[in-house]
Amino acid sequence: MKLQSQHFQAKTAEALADTAGVAQRDVLALFAPMLRDAAVQEFGSFEALRQHVKHIRQHSLDNLDYYLARFELEATNNGNQVHYADTSEEMNSIVLDICQQHDARRVAKGKSMVTEETGLNDFLQRGGLEVVETDLGEYIIQQAGETPSHIVGPALHKSEQQIRELFLEKHALGERELETTADLVTEARTVLREHFLKADVGIIGSNALIAENGYSMLVTNEGNGDLCANLPNVLIICTTLDRVLPRGEDATAMQRLLVRSATGQPQTCYTSFYSGPRREGELDGPLETHIVLLDNKRSDILASDYKEMLQCIRCGACLNHCPIFAAAGGHSYGWVYSGPMGSILTPLLTSLEASEALPNACSSCGRCEEVCPAAIPIPDLLRDLRHEQSRQKITAPRWRSGLKLHAWLAMRPALYQFLTGTTMTILHRFGRKKGSFSKLPLAGGWTGKRDFPAPQSSTFMQQYKARSKADE
Amino acid sequence: MSSESRSRIMARVRGASLGQGADAIEQELAGLGVAPAAPLPHEDTCIAFMVNVLRNQGTLDIAGDRNEAVKVIGRYIYQHFRSHRLVAGNDPHLAAMPWRDSGVLPRFGEVEPGEPVALSYAQWGVAETGATIFLTGKSNPSRNNLLPEHHLVLLDVNNLLPDLESLWQQLEPVFDRGGRPRGINCIAGPSSTADIEAKLVYGAHGPRAWHVILTGEVSSQQLQTALDIHADKKNPGDS
Repeated sequence: MKLQSQHFQAKTAEALADTAGVAQRDVLALFAPMLRDAAVQEFGSFEALRQHVKHIRQHSLDNLDYYLARFELEATNNGNQVHYADTSEEMNSIVLDICQQHDARRVAKGKSMVTEETGLNDFLQRGGLEVVETDLGEYIIQQAGETPSHIVGPALHKSEQQIRELFLEKHALGERELETTADLVTEARTVLREHFLKADVGIIGSNALIAENGYSMLVTNEGNGDLCANLPNVLIICTTLDRVLPRGEDATAMQRLLVRSATGQPQTCYTSFYSGPRREGELDGPLETHIVLLDNKRSDILASDYKEMLQCIRCGACLNHCPIFAAAGGHSYGWVYSGPMGSILTPLLTSLEASEALPNACSSCGRCEEVCPAAIPIPDLLRDLRHEQSRQKITAPRWRSGLKLHAWLAMRPALYQFLTGTTMTILHRFGRKKGSFSKLPLAGGWTGKRDFPAPQSSTFMQQYKARSKADE
Repeated sequence: MSSESRSRIMARVRGASLGQGADAIEQELAGLGVAPAAPLPHEDTCIAFMVNVLRNQGTLDIAGDRNEAVKVIGRYIYQHFRSHRLVAGNDPHLAAMPWRDSGVLPRFGEVEPGEPVALSYAQWGVAETGATIFLTGKSNPSRNNLLPEHHLVLLDVNNLLPDLESLWQQLEPVFDRGGRPRGINCIAGPSSTADIEAKLVYGAHGPRAWHVILTGEVSSQQLQTALDIHADKKNPGDS
């Protein structure tokens, strides 16, 4: 997928001007956290589960050489062909080669953010294949020629009416109706069922790879991934090497975290484990299975200070709880991964320079870290990226100068307190009548969009000192 | 190309790993303990399983023996499809049922497109999640779980497990005995989607309805308790 993160601010301005979109995002930002919170409360010992899985993931990444080799051995013994891809281009080529070896024409695809990352669909289509996304959200955005706005709900930026108009335009409806949401789902089901039955190759992602037995875990609600995994004669699992976990119970423990954090469900409709091709005497299932393991800089991240980011389980909870994501919308981030996790992954997987705005798209409120099921210190990693940008002089010179000035002042507490105290006293005097300022010198960026509240008469430090003195 | 990439990737991964031996790694893993499971909605595993099936938008029937099971299956098919036909996998548990006694006409094999109802035999049920577990194989085609409009599941109450950890324990001897099944499918509800404005709709790609028939020593009182707990959870304000 082509990186557009350099346009973050312009795209955010567009998103904020779209009042219907803003209202839709507000509703999601309200309800998604409620669903998650209810599921977490009901589970009870969620924090213990979170810490357990974090330790397991940490252990897996610390010993990834051992577990990756073990997974490869077991998966190969199960009858899979395991491929390694250093880059996106290599993964795409491997998948196209497999399709061409089988003279495939039609591909049914389950939701996979990894293949969004590599731009697999375009590559296969250029290779002459018909590729159909089968997850409803992915199907909608494929039909609309758009990109996912959310890693879990890729089409949540579209209204029902927009989807209805899209189907009216793209589908030969005949007698079929599109009045209700259920009609729209039935319409997609009808059209996609034909694709499932005709597809030569199925492509899915994987939520976890199990080292001890070579199984690959797939978690869905629609069942589309399972149809892709069972009906076509060839199955290709496209995933990344950091998905490896030691044991089956580790994968299901992670799944407990994933479903509650992603959708607030206690259980998804389909949780499947696939080990390889059709066994002797079996009536269905693929005749040939491939697992393509993508690196694309993940082994570099493994060796870096950002290693914890590889613990991300792609639940989308940090997106659902982020005020910046709610305001800006997923498309503003300009790549596959959006929200707080995207603001870390995008610079690490693409370029720190081209995605300069993303680590700065943070109010440091800390909600992402609070709800992250992998307990990733997201605000810290974002701050480290900002620091790195400043170190590499990617940050604009005026910002760097401003920060240097701030650091210089902050290291001189007496001067800092004198200046802030004086400024606040002046602002309080001038602003107390109205309670706010509609214009302020040097603060046009703030007052251009909203009023600046008039401060209290004294700063925190002044009040603290006064109280300490009174207590003596 | 792939083997060169493998060498490069493995070298980088080795460089970033701790380089511990297998014994030390296994020992460290064993020391990390066991994950907590979700609390069960009732201390009786069977009732807890039924509550979670209902919660997963499944429906339930109970049957004391095979004769009764055939009757409830026949009744379900007739009520929903005005038919006596269904497709079932070649599972010996299903083949041995007294189908003729209740007029059900099963066809054993794979579901073909357009056939509306299939019956599968679940190897286990998991109370923690309300999921029914299927192992793909000669007698259990996976498409029978995915293609029909209504998916009927026969499950022996003796095969209920409390949690997901127990499932992996049960799978170990299966792996040792006959190798690893191609697929282990945990199905917990009819297919669903919330991809349009986050509105929940059933019947996205897989079955629109999921009906579990529990056989064996399960009483109507247990079923009623499960129904009551589920109703209380749905409407906590009602008494």
